[in-house]
Amino acid sequence: MNLRATEEEAQLRAEVRAFLADECPAPESLPHGLDERMAFLREWQRRCYEAGYVGRAWPAEFGGGGRPPVEQVIVDEELAAAGAPEFPNIVGLDVIGPSLLTFGDDEQRHRYIPEILSAQEIWCQGFSEPEAGSDLASLRTRAEEREDHFVLTGQKTWNSWGQYARWCGVLARTEGPETRHRGISFLVVDMESPGVEVRPVTQITGHAEFCELFLEEVAVPKANLLGERGWGWKIALHTLAHERGTAALPRQVKLRTWVDRLAADGRERTSGGRPILDHEDAQVAVARAYINVEVLRHHAARTVGRFLNGQPVGPESSTVKLVMAEAEQRVTKAALDVLGETLESPQAGMERANDLWHEDYLFSRTATVLGGTEQIQRNIIADRILRLPQE
Amino acid sequence: MDLELSDEQSWLAESVGALLARTPASHAWDALLEFGALSIGRGADDLGAVELALIARAIGERLATVPFLSGAAARYAVGAELAVGERDTIALALLEPGLGWDLERPTTIIDDDADGPMRVDGEKAPVEGAGNAAALLVLAGDGDGRRLALVSTGQPGVTIVPGASIDGTLTVERVALTGAIARADGVLARDRSEAGLQRLLMVGAMLSAAEAVGAASAVLALARDYAGERKQFGRAIGSFQALRHLLADMYVKETSAWSTVLFAAAALEDELEDARQTAHVAKAYASRATLDIAHGALQVFGGIAFTEEHPAHTYLRRIVVRGRDFGGARHHERAIGRVLAHADRVQEVVA
Repeated sequence: MNLRATEEEAQLRAEVRAFLADECPAPESLPHGLDERMAFLREWQRRCYEAGYVGRAWPAEFGGGGRPPVEQVIVDEELAAAGAPEFPNIVGLDVIGPSLLTFGDDEQRHRYIPEILSAQEIWCQGFSEPEAGSDLASLRTRAEEREDHFVLTGQKTWNSWGQYARWCGVLARTEGPETRHRGISFLVVDMESPGVEVRPVTQITGHAEFCELFLEEVAVPKANLLGERGWGWKIALHTLAHERGTAALPRQVKLRTWVDRLAADGRERTSGGRPILDHEDAQVAVARAYINVEVLRHHAARTVGRFLNGQPVGPESSTVKLVMAEAEQRVTKAALDVLGETLESPQAGMERANDLWHEDYLFSRTATVLGGTEQIQRNIIADRILRLPQE
Repeated sequence: MDLELSDEQSWLAESVGALLARTPASHAWDALLEFGALSIGRGADDLGAVELALIARAIGERLATVPFLSGAAARYAVGAELAVGERDTIALALLEPGLGWDLERPTTIIDDDADGPMRVDGEKAPVEGAGNAAALLVLAGDGDGRRLALVSTGQPGVTIVPGASIDGTLTVERVALTGAIARADGVLARDRSEAGLQRLLMVGAMLSAAEAVGAASAVLALARDYAGERKQFGRAIGSFQALRHLLADMYVKETSAWSTVLFAAAALEDELEDARQTAHVAKAYASRATLDIAHGALQVFGGIAFTEEHPAHTYLRRIVVRGRDFGGARHHERAIGRVLAHADRVQEVVA
């Protein structure tokens, strides 16, 4: 354990900092409309990738940086310090990408990985179904094997960024329902295939970031099978461990910017004739949010930081996920508590900021649901870490 | 930059744990001294803050009653500048009745008598381990600022009155200083005192948090084992989801608290700019987390935990005390809050 930067690491930090000083978009420059924002953020990710700051620890032969994972940690810290926006290809980078690296053949990795890194191709995740949420192994989407392809039929839900995605990582049943998790395979589905229909779902935030996905006899080439037939569950566990664990390191980038914004609003807005943040109870509420975000950074770096190269993450990822959800919800709850009635202020110039807080707050309620509910994470910890008796 | 323990650090943690496990409690301190637990300084083989955190954690796990925390903190903060005997047991006489952990205006006075030694007058309490200490590290005002001074016990000007702690394995005393003579070369100059005090508060907060995490991890392990054995309704109680989830939450608190304590230790050792903020974060978080773990453990044990012979309460008691040493959660949350209220950006403070 040693946080002192080597000369090389210090140089990287300085280089990233200089890059961000020139290039990092200000939060208010982000377009409000979803389409425009997506285009803007893809361009942002592409520029960062070209500078060497995306997938820095991923293997060089597939377009990654081939550097030690700790360098990605440094890059993420600097992105956070600069208040940089999140990259738009989250699912590709933090969720499916590590599984493609681990289970994909060379052809698949050469085909998909560079386009994930540059945000040329956006990915989505086809895991959950209307009848298979926490009980994911009960999923019903079927893939029938034909000569050189699978025929895929079923319905998926909660496909974040499905309307922008070129590819979807789909879990489908290739064997009978009695096989439960043993009969599932992982297919890479081209979202431009005939029979794929995407319907954005308006969320409680008012945005339609996630979608329903209808698959009607979609032909998926056998070359798009990831790993072997029947490996779907194994791959899904690997994918989910990254979604719950390593994804926290880029995620805390965003949470740090929220804490910053909360502190800034708390200083600018007044209550009882004084800046809100002059009040000690408000200071403590913001401090507690900040503490949770810092602990997330420390805990994710210590437990999963070394897996930023895509290697398998163990059940510790579930502890990171719970710490992350608590941090996210504490920040937005603190914003509502601290900013209070000013969030409904008719004062000119505050509307946009107020909308954003309400949006962030509402969105943060998913933190204990998406990627596996907090109850599922506790089950995993009870079984696989504490080794408690089964229910 | 290395985010994991080195092989040497892992070895140290295991060795100290094994040492405390096989040594009778009455010899634990001698064994730790023999091991080199107070070899603190600037030498290459000396222990740094991370190593001290590992020792504090091991002490917490076994609830050892040894004067490590105060001795290690004092040596780490000011040992290079004050003449501390190698095996001197040191107690920290910082608090006063009515003076919080901000320690802003101590009423204890240190008087620079031009001809003679410096003398200290005032009342210090609570002072953990004063009764067994060879010397007290006293915080006092000199009229213009704060000073740290080493005062030997066993002199007429030092009166020690036993007090009571919720953790009966520790002693907490009140100390009356009436013209107590500071050790020659035992008083830090004003600016060095300020710097030393800040460092003392950081390392003390970090080490008390580490010890609390050790105690919490031990009581969690006991509760986990009990949940696997104890049967009600014909099943092990650890198979009930209500308890499985409670224990899982306790584990998350333990492992995340340990992560932040290690970061605080490394930030201190590596003299990072955010070392002070990180110490506040670690102490605030670990104080709350470890207390939740102890409460959870008592709940898992149920009625049996409320008998004196059951060990659960001994962990709870240690966690309560270490939780408030060097300031409880609210103290550190307020300190961070004040910074957030005045910095333009969080990052200006922490990065």
